[in-house]
Amino acid sequence: MMSRTHTNEETREALHGVVEEMYDKIVKGEAPTMTLPVRTKTNIGFDAKLGVYKYGKKRSTRDATSLGSAKQLLRALHVVEFIEEMIDAGKSSTLREMYYISEAWGLGKFSSQNESNNLAEDLEVVTKCLREDFKLRPEEDGARMIGNLTLRERNRRGEWMRINARDDVGDSGYGVPYNVELEKIELLEHDIKFIMAIETGGMFDRLIENGFDEDYKCGLLHLKGQPARSTRRILKRMSEEWDLPVVVFLDGDPWSFRIFASIAYGAIKTAHISEYLATPSATYLGITADDIMAYDLPSDDLSPRDIDALKAELTDPRFADGWWQDQINMMLELGQKAEQQSLAKYGLDFVTETYLPEKLADLGLA
Amino acid sequence: MAGTAERMASNQKQVAISEFFEKNKHFLGFDSLTRSLITAVKEAVDNSLDACEEARILPDIRVELTKIDGKKDIVELKTEDNGPGIPQRSIEKVFGQLLFGSRFHAIRQSRGQQGIGITGVVMYSQLTTGRKTHVRSKIATEASAALVDIGLDTRKNKATKSNETREIWEHEDGTLKEHGLEVTTRMKGKYQRGRQSVYQYLRMTSIVNPHADITFIDPDGERHHWPRVTERLPTKVESIKPHPHGIHLGTLQRMCSESKDSRMTVFLRGNFSGVSSRAAKELLQAAEIDEKMKPKSLKPDHYRALLEAFQGERMINEKPVKLLNPPTNCLSPIEELLIKKGLSKTIDSKFVTTMTRSPTVTQGNPYQVEVGLIFGEGMLADKPVEVLRFANRVPLMYQQGGCLLTKAIESVDWRQYGLDQAGGRGVPKGPAAILVHLASTNVQFTSEAKEALADNAEVMEEVRKALLEMGRGLRKHLEKKKKMAKTQEKFELVNDIIPAIAEKSAQILGRPVPDLSGSITKIMGAVIAETTTTWNKETKQTDVSITLFNYTSRARAYTLLVSWPERDGAAMEHNDLGGRKEATGVWAWKLETLDPGQTFVITYSLSGLERGDWTDTDVFYRGSQEVIGASKMDEKILEEIRRLEAVAAAPEETEHDDMDDMEQNPASPEIPPPTGQQTLFGGGE
Repeated sequence: MMSRTHTNEETREALHGVVEEMYDKIVKGEAPTMTLPVRTKTNIGFDAKLGVYKYGKKRSTRDATSLGSAKQLLRALHVVEFIEEMIDAGKSSTLREMYYISEAWGLGKFSSQNESNNLAEDLEVVTKCLREDFKLRPEEDGARMIGNLTLRERNRRGEWMRINARDDVGDSGYGVPYNVELEKIELLEHDIKFIMAIETGGMFDRLIENGFDEDYKCGLLHLKGQPARSTRRILKRMSEEWDLPVVVFLDGDPWSFRIFASIAYGAIKTAHISEYLATPSATYLGITADDIMAYDLPSDDLSPRDIDALKAELTDPRFADGWWQDQINMMLELGQKAEQQSLAKYGLDFVTETYLPEKLADLGLA
Repeated sequence: MAGTAERMASNQKQVAISEFFEKNKHFLGFDSLTRSLITAVKEAVDNSLDACEEARILPDIRVELTKIDGKKDIVELKTEDNGPGIPQRSIEKVFGQLLFGSRFHAIRQSRGQQGIGITGVVMYSQLTTGRKTHVRSKIATEASAALVDIGLDTRKNKATKSNETREIWEHEDGTLKEHGLEVTTRMKGKYQRGRQSVYQYLRMTSIVNPHADITFIDPDGERHHWPRVTERLPTKVESIKPHPHGIHLGTLQRMCSESKDSRMTVFLRGNFSGVSSRAAKELLQAAEIDEKMKPKSLKPDHYRALLEAFQGERMINEKPVKLLNPPTNCLSPIEELLIKKGLSKTIDSKFVTTMTRSPTVTQGNPYQVEVGLIFGEGMLADKPVEVLRFANRVPLMYQQGGCLLTKAIESVDWRQYGLDQAGGRGVPKGPAAILVHLASTNVQFTSEAKEALADNAEVMEEVRKALLEMGRGLRKHLEKKKKMAKTQEKFELVNDIIPAIAEKSAQILGRPVPDLSGSITKIMGAVIAETTTTWNKETKQTDVSITLFNYTSRARAYTLLVSWPERDGAAMEHNDLGGRKEATGVWAWKLETLDPGQTFVITYSLSGLERGDWTDTDVFYRGSQEVIGASKMDEKILEEIRRLEAVAAAPEETEHDDMDDMEQNPASPEIPPPTGQQTLFGGGE
């Protein structure tokens, strides 16, 4: 497997490239600029070689002719300086810490955390480095995992710990750390047939309580809504290194479709690293639009926001294939959405005894 | 029998007077304890203002309220003015005669049209506390002041005097009071704060009477002072004769029967405005009345016929008789600059704009509309704006919703002027106050309470027009502000951010800080004028500073011109650059060539103004490249100003031209000079 991370010198050089672009423009008597790929659905395309969606060729230039974008450039410079300081000092910080540190940056300070997160991503995209290279950590904690699989994690003291995600953990499972790269985690062995990624904590706990992981020899991964980078990354590693099928069990609404797309095809915001995060072999298990009808599930009316989201998905290249177009159109026609837990209509065991076995059988997994 | 009848009549009368008051106290303004107090203050203050105006005295008015008995709600009201005073023998007539006959022949704009008069206060005080009203009056020609207690004999509808005496009236500092009136009276009343309060009444009064100095001492002993902001008294209002369009049958009847004229033509010409001798003949012809008939001997059918001719219902050659409009010089508007001053006095202003419309006529009554809008410091943005309604300089405090003036405000879409308004209708919300003043010889109220103006489509349209016209000036100001904010952003960009980017990038790369001028020129690509107009507390002058930045890659040459309030008596000080006068209110400087990246600063101060008089300086330029923050001088407008000036400066020489103008426009011979800065530049179109 190719290495994702860059050396400190590579990172420094890449960052200096961004600074040089600005400096050179001033020397030439022009407005300083920063050039970066357009980060919207209009600029993602399928990369056949990698099997995921990546940014296309559209580039936008952020130039310092308006106050807003000039401030963005100044902030970028401060962030570059801050990253260099951390590299020199051998430290790291969270994105949130950086947001607070920016208080001291005068004109270059961030006005919201969102802004600092976006800028970190901008720099990743431009430099092709990762935020780990920048010594920046996300706030978000990773997912929880349960199942008969064993891995090795290097703890704070630098010691390797062997952990089995069924025998060595409590009911809440194994907590996935923010860094799941080789230097931190090694996948050792497993006795499972597939991995099931689950959207809600309630359903995750229901399957554990019902002993589903043991009955069906699978690993269960709690996504916690839109999954963090480390969650997507460990899913991909398990799928590739252990050659395991991945099924994704989500609510049946437009937002779940997007979660699936980010797992299987790559997220729009992180399309620059889709090949590290996306699991192209993942399958959408449910809840599908036809499940709502087939199982007569309790459902809610789509809100205007839901409808807009579905319509936007119709033109999203990641949902261009026929199955997705059918699902989306069907949900629009139904005007209904359903939660995973609506399966409880038929009792607490229905999901593990009827629904999932039926759906998995369709895929040849049960 | 006869004796009984007389006694009955007199009994009836006795009952009638006090019962009349009791039954009608809601529209006399004495229906609640709070309102009674406001009404009493209102009657006294209106009298003082009217008297001072008539005697051409700048009023100093002091109002003091003292709590006498909190449990029984007894309050003492003491008002003092520096008016002409009342001669001793007239005191009982002024204070003691209820419903004193109105002078129906004299039609003019006056405060006194509203309310029952000071006699009502004397009566209310007597009815609620049994006490008499104490009056102290000093006229200039007498050495001492007259003191007298006035009560009312409700049986005879007559004043009773007691404790009449004379004494020397001294000010607190021991100097002699030259003239003035002091009224002290005790009544049942309740002092409250808020929208409907004595405080608010006096505050509003001071807004529309900027020539008055008003002091108010509330029952808690707190002193509120609204100083005089102009030495200019309101223009003296002329009485006019009634216009046929505005006359009622009863009045016509009374005028005829009291007339000593020998024939109808003389009567019509002499007693009405707008009636020429030809019109008089035509009116009589239409009414089928003999020209030579004596007014006294007219019969009821004649009155009706004449009235119908007045109103155009009886016609000549199938056309109504053409009448001239009544003269409108009988009105005394506050005028734009003084409204501005009045508003700024009571509200800490961020921006004020005002509009005085030309006088016009409805149903034979001249009227004039004035409006003002002030954005205030510290006013609440999520509350409805304060609506300040006035009729003939008297605040209207009750029945806001039912008033024509409010309805006119509600009919305007204020959202385009930076105020919140749900659905573009209703009283807008925002940190502002809107003032509407109607001056008229005959203010039409919805009821005798005289708190709300009655619907009248013409007046409504006129108020709307005034508000919209004012709104245009406001929108222009808001657009200018937006533009300035944008310019400000550009300044921050080139003065702060770009240098910071240059410095930081140089530091990270370990290279020298590059020269910025090229980038700055590229980013701005414009010549920019930045103007500030600020009130200097220390010097009591308005400081103006104009900075011209050449952010283009070429050298530029300009002449800069500014508007300044020369007409309002301002003087230009510390204008070290000299320059020259282009026209009244327009100053110009020819600047030396400005190289790329260069800036040039012009500063001067304006004296003879007060805070809030001049808050915005318009800058114009002559030159080829556009200047952001200034307008290209329209030479035609300048020509027009110069032409008007020449006419005004040499009235003798151009008398003939003036005569022509006057004949074309007999109703308003005087074109009022522009007063507000909004109308001279930037206003209007």
